[in-house]
Amino acid sequence: MSTKAKLMKVLTSAAIAIVAFQCAGAQSAQTKTAANMSEVAKAVKAAADALGMPRTGGPGGALLPEIDVINRMEILGSGTSSVSGQTVKTEYHAALGYNPPAMRLEITRTNAGGTPQHTIQTVRDKYAWDESMMGAGLVPGKGTATPQMTAVKQRLLQIWILPYGVLKAAFAAGDKATVSVEDGTTVLSVPLSGELAGVTLKATLDSKNFITKVVAQTGGGMDIEADYSDYADHGEILTDIKSPGHMVEKQGGSTVLDIQIKNWDANNPYLVFPIPQNVKMATQQSSKVAEK
Amino acid sequence: MRYLRHLGLDVLAVLLCLVAAPAFAQEEAPGMIHNVTVRPAPTGVTPRTADGHPDFTGVWNGMADNLLGVPNQMHNEGIAVESDHSTYDVLTGAKIATWPLAKPKRQNGEQSERAATLLRRMGASRPIYKPEYWDMVKQFDANANEEDPSNNCMPAGVPRVGSPSYIGQFPNYLIFVYPGQGGLIATQTMYRMIPLDGRKHTPLQDLDGSYTGEGIAHWDGDTLVVDTWGFNTATWFDQLGGYFHSENMHVVERFQRNGNTLTWTATIDDPDVLLEPWTTTPRIQLLNANPKAMLPESLPCSERDLAHAVTKEHH
Repeated sequence: MSTKAKLMKVLTSAAIAIVAFQCAGAQSAQTKTAANMSEVAKAVKAAADALGMPRTGGPGGALLPEIDVINRMEILGSGTSSVSGQTVKTEYHAALGYNPPAMRLEITRTNAGGTPQHTIQTVRDKYAWDESMMGAGLVPGKGTATPQMTAVKQRLLQIWILPYGVLKAAFAAGDKATVSVEDGTTVLSVPLSGELAGVTLKATLDSKNFITKVVAQTGGGMDIEADYSDYADHGEILTDIKSPGHMVEKQGGSTVLDIQIKNWDANNPYLVFPIPQNVKMATQQSSKVAEK
Repeated sequence: MRYLRHLGLDVLAVLLCLVAAPAFAQEEAPGMIHNVTVRPAPTGVTPRTADGHPDFTGVWNGMADNLLGVPNQMHNEGIAVESDHSTYDVLTGAKIATWPLAKPKRQNGEQSERAATLLRRMGASRPIYKPEYWDMVKQFDANANEEDPSNNCMPAGVPRVGSPSYIGQFPNYLIFVYPGQGGLIATQTMYRMIPLDGRKHTPLQDLDGSYTGEGIAHWDGDTLVVDTWGFNTATWFDQLGGYFHSENMHVVERFQRNGNTLTWTATIDDPDVLLEPWTTTPRIQLLNANPKAMLPESLPCSERDLAHAVTKEHH
């Protein structure tokens, strides 16, 4: 063997030893991480895995940690909703985001007489408003944005009772979230914070770790329940994110919304929620009055 | 080929880990199995030219390049992965749930592309278009395999091309070079010659729109500012997102040098389509420390993937 070949052999062996040493250390650290993971953290991770939320990879990214990739989603569906005790045909279109927390919910209800009623209800952070048309109030002369300050909590809750919202909230809550087994099923209890402080979510997981039921305990006696089923990738652009194909919302035990999903785009589409100037001003004035 | 080489090293590392773990399991060496997208910290002094301005001359590389894979694209879109346990959004500061990899995750091409689609687009920083264009932008992005104007080796244009890989700084002008790439994401090589002599812009109506526009540089303290208008409409203004623009787009790029780092941002103003100006997430490049560093020859740009795209999944 030539001197050069011997040198290469020694260098190669040294390099392998160094890499192996580092790998072993990393494996040890990972084993400890898994062992130290709390029961609630394990349950959250399992449920997140079921939904396809933690993701890594892509070209050049094979060694990234797993990251919650859910931010913006768009949902299209149809079914029924309840208005003043009457069940009406309903078209459902929701655009939402978690960073920042925001949702634009466009609903068209058609009553027995065939008259459609169209509403656009929007919320972002501490602002809520109704839009006469998509993006109303942002460009002068194009639609009206009507502030709805008192609706902020109720509208924000619609984001957090979705399966992704429950898990994001659980991750944020850390030790304050708990896990239990009730009637043989896993139940996550998650306190919300910020605008929704005081609200607790109770999420039931099935045997595949999909969230099938979320109950929002608001403290006001009117719990909100959402049931989710038929999980699959319902996006036009496939992302391997699993979303419900059917969702039912109940208030005080009565069904208020029953929607079959046509499309659930989870590919972080272009969805924006700019706050109209008049909504900002109305909210600020309202806050000043409240402070006085 | 670059990816294949990386993949080969990854596979080797995984095999070594599996073989060696029992023998070395008592020791900890955190940091082996992770990657990050945080900005590099600057080191060294900032060189200056004879007239006292920071000297930007050099070969620059690092995380500002959109073409070097998902970690760079996440960085450029404002997602900072700072450790195995911590990720945040640069614009909002929001923490993002992060889990260390239990083991390197093997993904096939389809899984990898789907993950990349999500990772590249999860940032909070978005240009705000006028409401009548919201659906158009969304559809452009969803149908980028057909709609992206940079497909088939067309120029990325300014500012989508990002920060240059080579800057030559002279007293009265600058040379920017943006090498193109063949392979996975085919792009055309671009260059710009930018006056730094105090001249004013040509009136917009007298310019024929172009991919790079009319760029004119000036100093704002130690910041090099390149002010550009006079574009055609055959580009999008960011790597991702379907961000079309009008011929009235006005771009202001700001370059700052701190030691061995270059920070680049672009502010895009287009009152025809945007509600307000939008500024990109700052992109950081590192100076190639080798004083003999050269730009490699660009590979011939040859689009080979698009003809085989049968779904809307992104590439």
